Amino acid sequence: MSTSLPTTAGLAVLNVALALLLAPLFEGLLRKLKAAIHSRKGPPVVQPYLDLLKLLGKEDLRTAGGGLYGAAPALTLGSVLVLATLVPIGARPPLSFAGDVVVLLYVAAISAVLLMLTAFASASPYASVGSSREMMMLLSVEPVMVVALVVGALKAGTLATGGIIVWQLANGPTISMAIAGIAFFLALQAQAGKLPFDIPEADQEVMGGPLIEQSGPRLALFRWAAWSKQFVLAVLLVEVFLPWPGTGAFLLDVPLTLVKALAVLVVVALVDVVNPRLRIDQALGYYLRVGFASVAALAFAVIGM
Amino acid sequence: MRIEQAAANGTVDLVRERVGAALITATQPHADTLYLRVEKAAVRAAAAALADDLGARFMITTGIDRRELTNDFGILHLFSFDRGHLFVMLDCAVAPGDERIDSITPVVPGANWAEREFRDVVGVSPEGHPDPRRLLLADDWPDGVWPLRRDVPYNLQPSPVAGVRPPLASPPAGSSVVTIGPFFPVLEEPSQWRLFVEGETVVGCDYRGFYNHRGIEKLGEAVLTYNEIPYLAERICGICGFIHSTCYCQAVEKAAAIEVPRRARYIRTIMLELERIHSHLLWLGIAGHIVGFDTVLMQAWRIREPVMWLAEEISGNRKTYGMSTIGGVRRDLPADLTSKALEILAEVEREFMAVRSAIVGDGTLMARTKDVGVLANEAARRACVVGPPARGSGVPIDARLDHPYAAYDEVGVRIAVHEEGDTWARVLVRVEELLESIRLVREAVAALPEGPIVAEIREEIPPGRIGVSVVEAPRGEAVHVVVTGGDNRPYRWRVRAPTYPNLQAMPVMIAGAAIADVPITLGSLDPCFSCTERVESVDVRTRAVKVYSQGDLLRLSRAAGGRR
Repeated sequence: MSTSLPTTAGLAVLNVALALLLAPLFEGLLRKLKAAIHSRKGPPVVQPYLDLLKLLGKEDLRTAGGGLYGAAPALTLGSVLVLATLVPIGARPPLSFAGDVVVLLYVAAISAVLLMLTAFASASPYASVGSSREMMMLLSVEPVMVVALVVGALKAGTLATGGIIVWQLANGPTISMAIAGIAFFLALQAQAGKLPFDIPEADQEVMGGPLIEQSGPRLALFRWAAWSKQFVLAVLLVEVFLPWPGTGAFLLDVPLTLVKALAVLVVVALVDVVNPRLRIDQALGYYLRVGFASVAALAFAVIGM
Repeated sequence: MRIEQAAANGTVDLVRERVGAALITATQPHADTLYLRVEKAAVRAAAAALADDLGARFMITTGIDRRELTNDFGILHLFSFDRGHLFVMLDCAVAPGDERIDSITPVVPGANWAEREFRDVVGVSPEGHPDPRRLLLADDWPDGVWPLRRDVPYNLQPSPVAGVRPPLASPPAGSSVVTIGPFFPVLEEPSQWRLFVEGETVVGCDYRGFYNHRGIEKLGEAVLTYNEIPYLAERICGICGFIHSTCYCQAVEKAAAIEVPRRARYIRTIMLELERIHSHLLWLGIAGHIVGFDTVLMQAWRIREPVMWLAEEISGNRKTYGMSTIGGVRRDLPADLTSKALEILAEVEREFMAVRSAIVGDGTLMARTKDVGVLANEAARRACVVGPPARGSGVPIDARLDHPYAAYDEVGVRIAVHEEGDTWARVLVRVEELLESIRLVREAVAALPEGPIVAEIREEIPPGRIGVSVVEAPRGEAVHVVVTGGDNRPYRWRVRAPTYPNLQAMPVMIAGAAIADVPITLGSLDPCFSCTERVESVDVRTRAVKVYSQGDLLRLSRAAGGRR
């Protein structure tokens, strides 16, 4: 598939803009949903935008020096935006020439790694407990995502994200992809930092963990990155594992994808609101089991189901 | 022979056998109180006889400066025979100039804090005590000033000393320190836990609390009068205020042999149980919040709200009812209360059952609370814990049953006991207790007798009497000891809130636990460290916030006093 440079650039800009601008709105809608289940009124839907504006306008305070520490929030948000250009939103992934699912997974891990480095540098005991939890979560959740996407690659015979979607649209649902999709969804719960897996941040135990020393504009960028990441991964989930109907009409597919992604995040939020937090060892055991289940999907894929 | 009489006789015999002539006198100032005066040299043997041989439960120690009466300091260890419905007070005289007494902590581990406290406040040193550090005095409080000695004025303000650090225990080799507090999201009040951790595992801990110690006992003994103290006692706790004011009143009533009218005793019962209902709902919400289950927090507190409105309907206040007075209560129940109260209780019960089925069936919640923070039966007895932590560890004690007060001798209480000793068991105990409290209020409302609500007191309260009173607070047994004095105020007023013994069990409960389990373990004790030390008010028109300092409050209260 060859495309012109302007189209590619246009799609990339569109993806980045959607991720940046819609992620806070999605977060706001999820907060409303959570409030409804709590019998609360909840903050206005636009509250996340206001939060960002407020934080961006505050003084930039740092507990550590150094170039990487200073740039970490911007780099984190940047890495998530690069991720957005590797994920299709209602169309082909804009920068598909730059990489396949392997690159995508690497880019997805960058933000977590940056957060951990920032936390270790901020020299708070809560941050270091939080970031060691973050690392353990990353190491146990990442393989689940890898296996889920490899199932798709195996079925479609290509590592390209776009290729997997094309194969999905052509062949319809399969057992292996269904299992892989569920595994990916369970990984999304942790990647989005939602209960029962918000263990690294656990307010009541480690007071925000890796983020405890972050405030003002730096906190705003970390927040924005987290919301964008949850948005992009939800889009990735619906595009790869639930791409149907896939009309081919760009103006129809984009809003359809967004609605589907929101639906996925609503389910994530519902799981969040009816669960207490697991302990880190319990979460690791949980993802070990999910990992084994996703290997089953791999087996189904090998025998062609 | 009544059961407490049998227990008293047996106790006297055994103590005399153990300490011989060191047992000076044995009296029974009240049917349920045995008062043993022993030589101070025999205090450890006498305590061992009570705790080890007879299985008495240590409650609290009261230190009294009696130099102006009998020229000595009194160290009064209080024990309870729960099944025998009997309190036993061991009174040891300590002569001025030699302010030392043997520590009983080696034989009664639960006496640890109580002995550190009398060392702090009356300056009698417990010899052989394992912990030489201060318990409740501020770190910069001068040495040699013991605030509960009679010659120390209540308003003494030593000048603050900058840079004094609390003496902290050092962590074991190879572990690092994670602090919880003095200010921490899941602690509503200041208190500092220093956890010694290896990785995520807790290998030990140290505690420093009493940041908000307010000197309430001293105020009661030096400034207020008998009938003013209930309002101060009510402010000991922000949740179980009525419990403390009732407990104080009962102690005075016992000391002065005042008979409380039956209707007043029923009204007390109703208010005490309403307080338990809203306290347990509050706790359930906080416990949910600690493990990140905010849906439980929001729903439990929503269900709790009508109970607060009911309290407001009865007393005019959601909390801090101002209803207690010596001899009864100050306010009768509204005539039209019954139907409204029953309606609210039915609604609370219905909604609480829904919450209960949601939490009892929740696998994740079970994973976070089962086998977490285990307090084995033996350890619970050794630490002398009370309330739900005791009953969750299979120690079947409940002041309502063991030392009946108010109308609990007429409305029978069924207590909830679980054997496992883990956080889940403490959850279940409170869930069952809440339903039992709803039943008790219904029963008390139905059986509410007619008659006066307060006893007529014609005579002065005689000095030199002693009254011991307990109330089963939502967090466990609250104890008040009153020694009556002249000047229309107690000579000594001792308060022990249930969190005091319960917190001392924390080191056992979190040894070997994960850091993540510490907040919920602490939360499962339903700790109540102290209450607020200042008042914040918000002007609703200007939205301006004014925080009143202690000085502002003093000035305001003096101005108000001047107007009167």
